[in-house]
Amino acid sequence: MQLQYFLLLAAALFCIGIYGLITSRNAVRVLMSIELLLNAVNLNLMAFSNYLDSVAIKGQVFTVFVITVAAAEAAVGLAIVLAIYRNRDTVDMEQFNLLKW
Amino acid sequence: MGHFLLESVWLVPCYALMGGLLAVPWSPGIIKRTGPRPAGYINLVMTFLAFVHSASVLPITWNQAPYEISIPWLSTAGLNLSIDLEISSLSVGAMVVITGLNLLAQIFAVGYMEMDWGWARFYSLLGLFEAGLCALALCNSLFFSYVILEILTLGTYLLVGLWFSQPLVVTGARDAFLTKRVGDLFLLMGVLAIWSQAGSWNYTDLAEWATTANVNPTLITLTCLALIAGPMGKCAQFPLHLWLDEAMEGPVPSTILRNSVVVASGAWVLIKLQPVFSLSPIATSAMVAIGVVTAVGGSLIAIAQVDIKRCLSYSVSTYMGLVFIAVGTQQDEAALLLVLTHALASALLVMSTGAIVWNSITQDVSLLGGLWSRRPVSGLAYIVGTLGLIGFPPLGGFWALLKLASGLWTTEPWLVGVLIIVNTLTAFSLTREFSLIFGGKPKQMSDRSPEVSWQMALPTIILLGFTLHLPLVLQSLSLLPTWETLNKDVGLLLMWSSIFGCSIASVVYLGNVIPKPIRFPLKPLQDLLAYDFYTPKLYRVSIVFTVAMISKLADMIDRLIFDGIVNLVGLVSILSGEGLKYSTSGQTQFYAFTVLLGVGILGMVVSWQYWGSDLLNLMF
Repeated sequence: MQLQYFLLLAAALFCIGIYGLITSRNAVRVLMSIELLLNAVNLNLMAFSNYLDSVAIKGQVFTVFVITVAAAEAAVGLAIVLAIYRNRDTVDMEQFNLLKW
Repeated sequence: MGHFLLESVWLVPCYALMGGLLAVPWSPGIIKRTGPRPAGYINLVMTFLAFVHSASVLPITWNQAPYEISIPWLSTAGLNLSIDLEISSLSVGAMVVITGLNLLAQIFAVGYMEMDWGWARFYSLLGLFEAGLCALALCNSLFFSYVILEILTLGTYLLVGLWFSQPLVVTGARDAFLTKRVGDLFLLMGVLAIWSQAGSWNYTDLAEWATTANVNPTLITLTCLALIAGPMGKCAQFPLHLWLDEAMEGPVPSTILRNSVVVASGAWVLIKLQPVFSLSPIATSAMVAIGVVTAVGGSLIAIAQVDIKRCLSYSVSTYMGLVFIAVGTQQDEAALLLVLTHALASALLVMSTGAIVWNSITQDVSLLGGLWSRRPVSGLAYIVGTLGLIGFPPLGGFWALLKLASGLWTTEPWLVGVLIIVNTLTAFSLTREFSLIFGGKPKQMSDRSPEVSWQMALPTIILLGFTLHLPLVLQSLSLLPTWETLNKDVGLLLMWSSIFGCSIASVVYLGNVIPKPIRFPLKPLQDLLAYDFYTPKLYRVSIVFTVAMISKLADMIDRLIFDGIVNLVGLVSILSGEGLKYSTSGQTQFYAFTVLLGVGILGMVVSWQYWGSDLLNLMF
């Protein structure tokens, strides 16, 4: 087991998240993609902390913070999606293009 | 006292200028209560003052060396411009003629402009003219002569355009300004070109320089031709002669001045520059050619006119052409004598015909007739003016023409032939005009035609007296040839040509043999002369057309190409803004995509050095 594989896996997960972030039409799925991104980051942090900083494991502390903040962010995100849904009766991202040119 | 007058003779132009300035307040918009007449009276007083001053100085300057004054005007690096004045009997004599004729014209105008409100404008411009002409007479510097000529060109524009509500006046004033301006601009080129060769603009210095000058013949020829072009426009010479015809739209009293004196301002400069012209044989022969063409052409055209004022304006061109011939053949004295006699006689003719026009209304000679019995004073003035102009002894014109012809007799006899022909034609045209106005039966327009009031009759009679006394004056100044030196052949030729022209015209127009109006066998030829060789059309198809086309082209290029390029820049900015705004799509996911794209590209650029070469190796 080597560091690179973890990093590559995390990068792959990040790219999948990006792809989902950009292409999803459902707003909830966009939030889910963001969770994928954050998890990819967490994987990185855990990998670095294990291979490079196994004594102080600062990366794991960071991960705990990220999970916490991600939970809060998902809560706020879902609240926003709900608020939009109440107004516009849809969660289709392509219907939210009012702020253009 | 005499010395003081001599030293202060430069005040003469100032009097006239002051008169002109003082007349301005009586413009209808400023002083409304008194009417315009005080403007005229002030000018009369100032002109009289100028006349008395110059006339009292004239005897003092007689047989004296020229007295020169130099007033510094501008001194910059390497260039010292000073107003050089020459007070000689010649320049003071010219001022006497100018102020005298102006005085008479102004008295005439008091009568003629009786029912006109524009005295302030009219008299202030007459004052300006008088000042300009006197300054020109005194001025001994080519540069300041040019300055004065340009001011007089502006004055002509304003004076011809006095009654600007008439459309023909506006076009006439325009042509008078532009035609003279073109000549003046060529003159400016000559003035500037002569500086680099002679290093001075003083006429005396120029004459001295010309005696020993060793210059490039092409250069001096071009310079001289440019110097001729100025007087050519001023003196209404072919082909810059149309303006004088159209300037006849102005009021008669100003015509008196213009026909007699203003056109001579060009001749004055020409005479003063004669030593320079003698450096270039091409220039002198060009001058003679212009003079010959104008003299013959002008006298032929004058015969075919029906307008009383235009008949005379073409003979003015004719006589200025003779002055050109005289200067071209190095006969300054003959030229000056010609200018003097022409000034008096021509002014007398214009006064006489102006008096006819004033209460016969029409200017068409074919509508006038039979005035002799009722208008003896105008008729006598016309006769004396005619005889004073053509070669008829013992009046002035004869001696001037004789002097010119005797000078040409041995050197260039063919020019004497031209002179004789011109004299015959002028005699014919003037007698024709006389016969049509004063002879024959009264016509509807001239049925009841009283003699004019004293304000117009008085200057006419005074000038008539002057014209009659001119030979005596010339004799007392010993300017006439003695009986021994008289070239009797030429004298007889001139006399007989005058008599011939006069008698043919009287037979044709006073006799009943030929039906009136006279039709020339060749109708196109008659029209050609009556329409002044179609000069307006010639101008229109040549110069005016070219300039108008080039202007339109330049305007088009400016508006389409240059404006277009600049507008294109703006248009491109607007269009790019309009197009690029669609990049703000309103889709949050698209923004996220662009952010990631930017980060990705930036990352690739920054990290290119670590993997770029490997990639290239892999690809190629």
